[in-house]
Parts: sequence; structure tokens; C-alpha cells
Amino acid sequence: MHRLTTLLSGIFLVFLTSWLGLVAYPALHLGRLTPVPDPDNGGSFPPTYGGQAIAGQRVYATEGCISCHSQQVRQSSVTTSDVDRGWGLRPSVARDYLRDSTAFLGSRRLGQDLSNVGVRRPDAKWHLIHLYHPSAVCEGSVMPCFSHLFLIRKIQGQPSDEALNLTGDDAPKEGYEVVPTAEAKNLVAYLLALRHDYPLPEAPVKKNGAAK
Amino acid sequence: MSDHTLPHHDDKSGHLHVDIKAIDASVRLPVIILFGNAIHWLVIASLLSLIVSVKLIAPGFLGGVSFLTYGRLAPMARDLMLYGWASQAALGTGIWLMARLCGRPLGGEHSGGFGGELLRTLVISATVLWNLAVLLGTLAILAGYSSGVEWLEYPSWASAMLLLSFLLIGIWAVLLFDRRGTGRAVVAQWYLVAAFCWFPWVYGTANLLLVWKPIQASAQGPIQSWYCGSLLALWLLPVALASAYALLPRLLGSHLNRRNLATLSFWMLLLLGGWNGMDRLIGGPVPAWMTSAGVVAGVLFLIPVFMISMNLLGMDRKEAIVAGSISARFLLMGLYALICVGSIGALASLPSVSGAVRFTAFTEAKTQLWILGAISLPLFAVLYESFPQLLGRDCWSPVLTGRHYILTLVGIAMLISLLLLGGLFTGIALADPTVSFLNITSYSYPFHLMECVAQLLLLIAALILGANITRALAGDYLLNKQPRK
Repeated sequence: MHRLTTLLSGIFLVFLTSWLGLVAYPALHLGRLTPVPDPDNGGSFPPTYGGQAIAGQRVYATEGCISCHSQQVRQSSVTTSDVDRGWGLRPSVARDYLRDSTAFLGSRRLGQDLSNVGVRRPDAKWHLIHLYHPSAVCEGSVMPCFSHLFLIRKIQGQPSDEALNLTGDDAPKEGYEVVPTAEAKNLVAYLLALRHDYPLPEAPVKKNGAAK
Repeated sequence: MSDHTLPHHDDKSGHLHVDIKAIDASVRLPVIILFGNAIHWLVIASLLSLIVSVKLIAPGFLGGVSFLTYGRLAPMARDLMLYGWASQAALGTGIWLMARLCGRPLGGEHSGGFGGELLRTLVISATVLWNLAVLLGTLAILAGYSSGVEWLEYPSWASAMLLLSFLLIGIWAVLLFDRRGTGRAVVAQWYLVAAFCWFPWVYGTANLLLVWKPIQASAQGPIQSWYCGSLLALWLLPVALASAYALLPRLLGSHLNRRNLATLSFWMLLLLGGWNGMDRLIGGPVPAWMTSAGVVAGVLFLIPVFMISMNLLGMDRKEAIVAGSISARFLLMGLYALICVGSIGALASLPSVSGAVRFTAFTEAKTQLWILGAISLPLFAVLYESFPQLLGRDCWSPVLTGRHYILTLVGIAMLISLLLLGGLFTGIALADPTVSFLNITSYSYPFHLMECVAQLLLLIAALILGANITRALAGDYLLNKQPRK
């Protein structure tokens, strides 16, 4: 035990147990999960992301959304409150994440769970205003403003279609408008694509379950 | 000075000549650089943590600026705590303890020669590289280049630099052990060898599969949890425990009663440590057996924790000696913190409790107690013990040292109890779907408010430590200069 090689082999073997179980097994098994076909329209579950949503994942990562938001609906054997709160129709499973570049599972819920935010809030305009100034649409929210993802610019001719419909203190000066940058639009596209509402063999969706 | 050269090996054979002065001279500069930089990162991390907690009660504070949003500052603070402070101080601790315990100067017997100089230059360059990696990684998060993986937010080039630098420093700790001049290896040495072997493995694997060449995301959850658990339980904690095993018996003028217990707890800790992070995935999108493994590991982890505590706290000790030694007090408090971490972890692993509190401040309390308590307190002990020996004089201001100790403990106790209580309240409310989410946010307001006070105390404590070490090192500079005038 007192020779380096003996000690190192002992350490190596003991360490191998958790490495095999928590790194090698997931890599070989969970990492090879494949999408299942969608019987209705020939697509697949989970559905693929559009180009904007893929770019939006980078914004989600760099803005550190994971610091406050989880993306997982837990199994009912542990808690039913995630489903009861309307955060999802069914518990999340590993296959749900196979289209993601990073699994943003999260460890803290200072804000709401986002695994089904696209089901709950399907309106892009709402998300844009919410990102620009959260308490404008969500009184009492502690979410910070992501106003740096927007531009305040002088209206040239016709106001832009994309300009946010802001009221009260948030409204820009007369003759100015607030428009989302590409980053804001990508992020919202990603948020709208977050929906684990399709059935999977290991996670069926109950027929009469409806998002609250 | 002879009876104060802690720790040193048990040289029972008597045929070995160990030159403590030569050993200290060989590691002096690297250890001082590592600890000095670690403390300035600690101050910055504490400041960021304070700003982050203020942002929870006043979301508009420093608002509207992209690089000062919560989502960027919170990971910056956490990573600085982990890599800037704890890991760097652990590197310093490892090198110093290893050289002392092995009775060998860094760079071998001919450390005075060219080879020794070359090696020291290499180690010092590696410490510079480490700090450069931490600095650039932090700035990258600030500028919006975070990888978005919790605890591994540094972009791939920064984490590669960190790993390279670790290998350049850590290899010497392992080589020192291989060339040790003393016969029987002590438990502290095992812990150090284990820790220094694991960090590259854990950090390398996790970065490779999550950041450098991300694996399909359906497999990322368990790997990420494994990383978080292993980083704390298999890299930082073993170093903290090595310092307790190496320093505490001699500080207390006592000896370990049961060596077998130390051996058994060492292997148990290693076996369970890697599974320890799985409580982050209880009920999550992983196979059911992983959830079960997480529950079992969380509860079983209590066994090595209690064995280690019994082993170290079971030594005879005189209160007068404890009161007179700041290092002994930090080490004992670190052990108490470890017992609390184990108990909170076991409690939080129970499925019913986890179901309620997993995403609340309760989890944060456990993480903070790991980093600030079980890991940082023993590292402080090593700092207070090593510097007077490395500098060859009594360098600490008793007043600053005493205040740092008190403020650190009060700050940690306050922060952890607030996070636990706040987490419990929000957890119970979250479990009841009739309570709206915004309502729950308003419940946690008073807790967040008080957390700011606790973070402020910890910042002041870090600043006092910074002043103390600046004074210690500046004193060295002045003493060196004086004779010339």
C-alpha cells in the first residue's frame, strides 16, 4: 500500500466505479439515444430546432439563464408538483434533450422551469417585452432586464413591424422605437421551441392532460 | 523554531537526514504565489457574491449593462471561488504538505543546482498560467463567451490552460511522493496523491465531454452532476482532509488513536465521493437507477464523514492549546462543517425532501457549506500555519487574524442558516401548486435581504485576510530592504 504504484492502482480502481457508472454508461447508452418517428406527419420526436432556435441556445448559454431557470420536469415518484404547477404534461426523460447542444438541466429555480415554456407562452411578442422589462408583464418578478438585447433607435419613416409595443415608463421617447436585436429574436425562437409535449415510448402523454 | 516545524514526517529509522530549511526554501516561492493569488481571487469572488445577492432583492441594481447581469456574475463568482481561490489554495497546500511529509525538497536533493532552478521556474510559470487562465476565463464569461455548463463556464481554451497548468504543478506533488525519503506513507499523503491524480481526470473528462467536444446532450446530465460531486468530494475535500490529518495531531500535541479507521474511511470516501453529486439529479431525466444511486450515495456518504470526524475529533486535546492555535481552530471548524455538509446532504438526498427543496436555496446552502466551510476553513488553517514557517518569522497580526476567524465563522453560519431556512420555506411552498410562483418569490425576499448582510460579512472577512497577508509579505519586503540602507 505504501508504494506509489500500489496506491495509484487502488485509487484508479476505486475511482473507476463512479466513472464507469456516471460517465461511461451515460456516454455509451444515453448518448446513443435516437429520435422516434412521429406517426402523424412523418417528422420525429423530439422535433428538430430551426436555425434561429439553434442560435438562440448560444444566447441562453452566454446570458447564464441556467443560473435561475431549470429545464426538467421531475418524475412523479419524487414529486408531482412540477406537473401540477403546469410546468409540463409529463416528466422529462433523457431523450428530450438529444437535439440540444448543451443540456440546460439547471440546479436552481429562482425563476420558473422552462422545459415547456413554448407551450405555456406561445406568443413571441410577450417574450420580447418580458425580456426587455420583466416586471412590465410580470408584476413582482426578480428577473433582470435584458435590455442590452434590444436597440432604441430613431424611427425612420414607417415604424418597424418588430418594434415592441411598450407602455408607461418603458415606452421610448416620441419618435423612437425599441427593436429586438438578432440575439433577442434567436433567444425567443429557442424559448418558443422549448416544448416537451410530444409522447415518447418511455414517457407517454396522458390524453386529457392540458397545460395550465 | 525546531518544535514548530509542522508537519514533518515520522523519522523513526533515524538514518535519514532531513533538512527542513532546504525543503521550505525549495517550495517557498510557489506556495506564496499560489496562496497570495488565491486570496485576491477570494476577495473578488466575495465582492461578486455580494453584488449577486443584492441583485436578488433589487433586480435593477447595476442593471441595463450586459456584462453585469445576474446570469453572468453568478457563474463568475462561483468559478472564482472554485478555481481562483479553493483549487489554487489546494495546489499550494498540496505542494507544501507533500514536500514536508516526504522530507524532500522540490526538485530533489540537488535542488540548489541548475535542475532545481529550472524546476522552480517551471512551477512558477505554471502558477502564472493558472492565474492567467482564471482571469481570461472570468473575463470571457463577462464578455458573453460562457459555455453555459454549470461550473465549467470557462471557454475551452481557458479550461485547457487550466488543465495544463495543473499538470505542470501537480506532477511534482506525485513525484515527491514517489521519491519520498521517509518509509511508511501517512494518511495525509494518500489523500494528497489521490486528489492530485483525480483533478486532471475529473476536469479533463468533464471538459472533454461537455465543453471541448460536447457529447449528445441526452447524456450530459449525469456527467455534469458527476463533475460537481467529484470536484468537491474527490479533489478539494481530500486536500482539506490531508491538511487536517497532517497538521491537527501535532498542533494538538496528540496522535491519531486509530490508524485503521483512517485507512478505511479513506477508501470509503473515494468510493462514494464520485457518486456524491448524483443528488443533483434525483427525479431528473436520467434512468431510475441513477436516482436510486444518488439517494444511496448521499446517505452512505455520512459513514466516511463520521469515521473521519471520529478519528480526528477523537484525539485528546487541551482547550488551552486549541485556543492558542488559529490553525487548530480553523481545522476543527472545518471538520464540524464537514459533519454538517454530510448531514444536510443525506437529508437532501431523501426523495421526499429532495422533491421539495432540490431547486431552492437549500441546495445552494449545501454547496456553499462545502466550499466555504468544509474546504475553505482547512485551507485557511494551512495558510496560517505555513506562512510563518516559509517566511521564517511570525508574520501574522493577531488582531487581524482573530477578526478574520470570527467574521468568517459568523458569516458562514449566518449565510448557511438563511439559505437553509429560505430553501425550506420556498420548498414547502413550491410543493403546493396552489401557491403562485411570484408569491413564492416574495416569500424569499427577507431571506435574500439577510443573505446580503452575511455576504457582506464574508467580504469584510476576506478583505481582512487580504490585509493580513499583504502586511505579512510587505513586512518581508521591508525586512529584506532594511539592512541595505
